[in-house]
Amino acid sequence: MINWFHLAPAQRPLSHVFMSALAALALCCLLSLLFGAGGLSVQASLQTLLGNGSADAQFTVFHLRATRTLVGLFVGLTLGIAGALMQSVARNPLAEPGLLGVSAGSSFAVAMALVLGASTATLTVGIAQFGALLGCLCVLGVARMQGQHNDPIRLVLAGAALSSLLLAMTSLILLFDQRAADEIRFWVTGSVAGRDSNVLYSVLPSMLIAILCILYTAKPLASLALGERVAIGLGHKPRKIRAVVILAVALLVGGATAIAGPVAFIGLVVPFAARALVGADIRRTLWLCLPLGPIIVITADIVSRLVAQPAEMPLGVLTAIVGAPVLLLIVRSRRMPTL
Amino acid sequence: MPHNSANSDIAPNGYRILSIGPYVEVLIEKQALVRNAWLLLALLLAGITTLGIGSMPIWPKDVIAALLGQGNPMHQFIVQDLRLPRLLAALFTGAAFSLAGCLMQTMARNRLATPGIIGIDNAAMAFAVSSIVGTGISLAPSVMALAGAATATALAFGLAGGSGTRGYRFIVAGIGIGAIAGAVTQLLLSQVSIDVANSAYPWTVGSLSARDALMVNILGVGTAICLIACVVFSTQFALMPFSDQVITGLGANIKHIRIIALVLCITLTGLAVAVAGPVGLVALVGPEIARVFARYRGIPLVSSALTGALVMILADLLGRTILSPIELPVGIVTAVVGGPYLIWILVRRTSRTSL
Repeated sequence: MINWFHLAPAQRPLSHVFMSALAALALCCLLSLLFGAGGLSVQASLQTLLGNGSADAQFTVFHLRATRTLVGLFVGLTLGIAGALMQSVARNPLAEPGLLGVSAGSSFAVAMALVLGASTATLTVGIAQFGALLGCLCVLGVARMQGQHNDPIRLVLAGAALSSLLLAMTSLILLFDQRAADEIRFWVTGSVAGRDSNVLYSVLPSMLIAILCILYTAKPLASLALGERVAIGLGHKPRKIRAVVILAVALLVGGATAIAGPVAFIGLVVPFAARALVGADIRRTLWLCLPLGPIIVITADIVSRLVAQPAEMPLGVLTAIVGAPVLLLIVRSRRMPTL
Repeated sequence: MPHNSANSDIAPNGYRILSIGPYVEVLIEKQALVRNAWLLLALLLAGITTLGIGSMPIWPKDVIAALLGQGNPMHQFIVQDLRLPRLLAALFTGAAFSLAGCLMQTMARNRLATPGIIGIDNAAMAFAVSSIVGTGISLAPSVMALAGAATATALAFGLAGGSGTRGYRFIVAGIGIGAIAGAVTQLLLSQVSIDVANSAYPWTVGSLSARDALMVNILGVGTAICLIACVVFSTQFALMPFSDQVITGLGANIKHIRIIALVLCITLTGLAVAVAGPVGLVALVGPEIARVFARYRGIPLVSSALTGALVMILADLLGRTILSPIELPVGIVTAVVGGPYLIWILVRRTSRTSL
């Protein structure tokens, strides 16, 4: 299955790369069930998985760790896909929902909701998704207004500005509300720990809509990558495609943010790795983002459980530590790749 | 002031050469001097207003009397002991941030390259918070802030491989470093008890309330020294907007100039963060106003310091009064005002982002 490795990225058979990635993902999920706190050694976890463990051990492995793995799977999936879509629509390899303030928009909306009386347990996903949509529109508005000076890095700056503005307003809100500040203190670092699997069901409807949006736009997006005129010539409507894509990104990022808090850089790292593996075609990239996103998030989550035992390192911190070097790598590459 | 008449002959129109000792000569633009005097006056007025406004309003006349140690003892206590330290903190941090911003913008040849954006603020904050919440590394927060500022700058420069084309690479490298530092701060805050986190919270968003008097004094002295150094080196700094070849051709050592500017930048930002936390956007807005107002042909270093102080004092005044009795941290005020401004710089079609 690995005999694709010597080929050029764009020539690698997608199905083989995809299957290899799926195998890696399965391994990650298994490791995620085996490692972690709770006074359960790796051998004991393995025993439990094979069917003979105490009730406590079974609860730890099949309930706590499995849920966590599932949440990680979901977050990686959504953020990776959202990153790939956003980079494609902005034609900018640095467009990342976390960096561009989409997650900050989500956090802001969530903070608002918390102050108005919700608690992290009863948060509706819709609020986070609405905030994400607003953040998305703001930053892409800025990007579009820059006209012909299509400078990839400017978008990042606009995102940084928007993020800092939204974060300041979030802090402002929290300053007035001690309870909300206390609730959000853990939420803002981004974590997949201690989430109930029920929250996953609550985002499923919106994820279905997002999937439909992606199926609808994948092919037009690929032709949009060839240029606006080509896309129009092929009978697509660029404006409409962008609107649908932005909606999909908002649904995905908002859903992930509602569940795990703002986890930055996943949307940057995953498409970057996917492109390195199968080339820049958005359809191939999107396919590979499916297994790659969860692989990265679950691996980061496993590391976050292991490095600071018995405490845990928040996932968002770890993804920043993994993601920032990738950002630097992209920026340092001699020619900024254009999409 | 020793004045060398031979030198004033070669000074361009509207300029004057000020000689300090045998080796140091400073080119001074007369118009800029006038403009800076106006700024100083505005600063004075803003200061007196700030000292007068609060839960107990005091008339400007009484403020001046109290400052001079006369008049009502109650007024003297309020003005000198309660409000003056805070005013000084705002003055020094504003001047320091803005001066550092001006230097870094000039150095990277991009006016978006301010210490806040390239992550120096965040790194200084992460280091200082780590010493506040007690991670075993318990040096003074101010020393830690300086160390953080230096680390972040070194990383940003090293990883970007110099300033790059129009400073953009440097900026994005800095954004990455700032993200990591911000994440580390969040990590530290989430690991400690809610009381400790609460005590550090106003500090992480940038605040001027109840600052350590000693730190403010150190910052004041540091800012003054850096400002003098800036004036002394202003002729060299004025070369920085040119390309490396031009600077070398003019016989100056670009590396030395950059290192001096960097050291000043790090010192100013580190000290200011140690006092007020990350109030980054002052570094962006201050030099901008200075450039517009002073219409100075060189680099508006002194004007930047003055406008920065003015912006900080006004922002703090706004934060104290607008939702009184609740006090807004000054960092939030500057972010809410400065964020849209930054976006505006980016979206303007005829944007002259590079200097």
